[in-house]
Amino acid sequence: MRRKRRACACRSVAIFTATTGSRFLCLDPGVLPAATSAQPPPAYPLRVSADACVGIVANPASGRDIRRLVAGASVFGNADKAGMVFRLLAGLGAAGVPRTLMMPAGDGLSSALRRQLAGRTARDASMGAPFPALHELDMPITSTAADSQRAVERMCAEGVAAIVVLGGDGTHRVVAKACGDVPICALSTGTNNVFPEMRETTVAGIATGLVALGHAGPDGLRREPVLVVERPGAEPDLALVDVAVTSERFVGARALWRVDALRELFVTVADPSAVGLSSLAGLLSPLARGGGKGLHVRMASDPGESRVVVQVALAPGLVTKVAVADFETLDPGVPVRLGAGDGSVALDGEREIECHGHDRITVRLADGPLRIDVDAVMKRAAGTPPTCVDLS
Amino acid sequence: MSAVETPASSELTRDELLDAYRVMRTIREFEERVHLEFATGEIPGFVHLYAGEEAIAAGVCLLLRDDDYVASTHRGHGHAIAKGCDVKGMMAEIYGKKTGLCHGKGGSMHIADLSRGMLGANGIVGGGPPLACGVGLNARVRQSDQVAVSFTGDGGSNQGTFLESLNLAAAWHLPVVFVIENNGYAESTSPNFHQAGVDLIKRGEGCGLPGISVDGFDFFAVREVASEAIARARAGGGATLIECKASRYFGHFEGDQQTYRAPGEVEELRRTRDCLLAFAGRVTSAGAIDPGELEAIDEQTRALIDEAVAEAKAAPEPDPSDVGTDVYVSY
Repeated sequence: MRRKRRACACRSVAIFTATTGSRFLCLDPGVLPAATSAQPPPAYPLRVSADACVGIVANPASGRDIRRLVAGASVFGNADKAGMVFRLLAGLGAAGVPRTLMMPAGDGLSSALRRQLAGRTARDASMGAPFPALHELDMPITSTAADSQRAVERMCAEGVAAIVVLGGDGTHRVVAKACGDVPICALSTGTNNVFPEMRETTVAGIATGLVALGHAGPDGLRREPVLVVERPGAEPDLALVDVAVTSERFVGARALWRVDALRELFVTVADPSAVGLSSLAGLLSPLARGGGKGLHVRMASDPGESRVVVQVALAPGLVTKVAVADFETLDPGVPVRLGAGDGSVALDGEREIECHGHDRITVRLADGPLRIDVDAVMKRAAGTPPTCVDLS
Repeated sequence: MSAVETPASSELTRDELLDAYRVMRTIREFEERVHLEFATGEIPGFVHLYAGEEAIAAGVCLLLRDDDYVASTHRGHGHAIAKGCDVKGMMAEIYGKKTGLCHGKGGSMHIADLSRGMLGANGIVGGGPPLACGVGLNARVRQSDQVAVSFTGDGGSNQGTFLESLNLAAAWHLPVVFVIENNGYAESTSPNFHQAGVDLIKRGEGCGLPGISVDGFDFFAVREVASEAIARARAGGGATLIECKASRYFGHFEGDQQTYRAPGEVEELRRTRDCLLAFAGRVTSAGAIDPGELEAIDEQTRALIDEAVAEAKAAPEPDPSDVGTDVYVSY
């Protein structure tokens, strides 16, 4: 596979600083404001370096599954994702990130991006900061989730300062398994996403770049909760939003949308405005993100058991009724055992684990990845160097 | 807000699981055997083997009735077997014998059985989709709920006939399911070279059809997606485009040295992605099927293929007087 190399001039006349390149890259600790947040900043190794590299994982398979057919969800085309990466590079470059490392992406994504980069005229290039050098990881593509996981492992080994992820809940789940404490910028290109956000990637790029170069500020990173799923004889797995137990036995097209088979649900966040299983929890008992608690819901297996019937937007275009038996809050660190029975366990909406009979499978709420809070980073960037340099 | 009805569960029964395994195993054994026999030089013409892609044929065709039609490609043995064509008749046809499904006149690339809804394997790349549109139009005019499935390769999806068929099926709201079997090689050319980074399912959207991509090594995934598309077509919901990603184990044709493949590529696929191994693993670990039952099917299938080859070799060739038969159709 051909690699795209761009000459990177680290000196730049960035569109929003009046400083020279060397000032932009030297960090003067005296310039950073003191921490003002009540919460202590998360203890992670902050890679502050002029040579900061940012990883990019853009999943060509996100937003293309069976929910296109059964629920009227739209297809997120790969040319659109390529455009998002292009704009991301503009933002990263403007923040001064010299290098990016990207997972090779088939189905038109990498090719469309290369075309866009090649089509960037000299005039466009002179108007903004140079784009970072874009290197594609040299790795085989299997067109499975293993690709994203392998890419993130490689990026962490290469010492990336942050990783931008373009994908759905599923993609982010896989990334979270491998990224450790490397901060991630979570951008949505999937179906009814709860974890990643819909965000213009230019600004996401600027924010991520500022984080990568050490300008996150105390509120710029947020520790996200995860649900850890453990079973004997297997590696623990995790979910960022929900763990659902269904009586459907076979992991078929992965997307979970048959609500009549749903038995149990665990969530890290319960937002009544979301689309998907976590909104079921949200409509029962709303829980804000970052509140430190989760929710455990049990569905009624027969009509006599049902306490509440909830009308839920399960997927885009699909609203259905669910009979609930009971629910309780989930405290961090406390393992809860799944009810017995044949079926499968879905992690973040995709069926991943088959379970039978009396398998001992437990779920517990724990600490997960560090997420870049774009709004917080940009708020801190306002009026402070390197974004704004007061010349008076 | 109105509640949308969710379709009935597509959980497979034990019999359906065994049937699916039997079909995939039959295709695999058939192709592996033809691979060996072709090397002897006894088989006339070319053969293009389907081994590796069984989950696609089984996942789609087992959902179809005898009066639903399949338009296939030059790599058609898998579709023919999955659609219910007689295995012995197929083998005899490949050997060019009079007892073949097409009386020995079509060979591997034109295996057909209209009574089973198998319109035929097709030697013309991109030849199938327009035929499927014809079936779809027929069904609409006669107000029947029959469905047509058209198989095409990644290379074939570049053909004008394919793109025209997508458009026609969309414009005329035809009950057609277009399946792209993307095995990563158009003969010997990778999509990196024969397409400019195309998102295949967006070709459907470009013509106004929903498109969806699925792992072609996973029988259950293919079946679930195909089930939705077929139900949609039957209910008057029009056409769908499905991309199934898989890989073929053998060459484009028998005799192809496959120098365009990476060293160890096929061995790696057979070891890690094989659809039969994955299927067997899943149904036995779920406790639905006993491994012994699958082994029994393996043995029965091998015996069937042995008989088919022996009978095909022993069968008579068409005689010169047959040259004028099967040429015209009388109404």
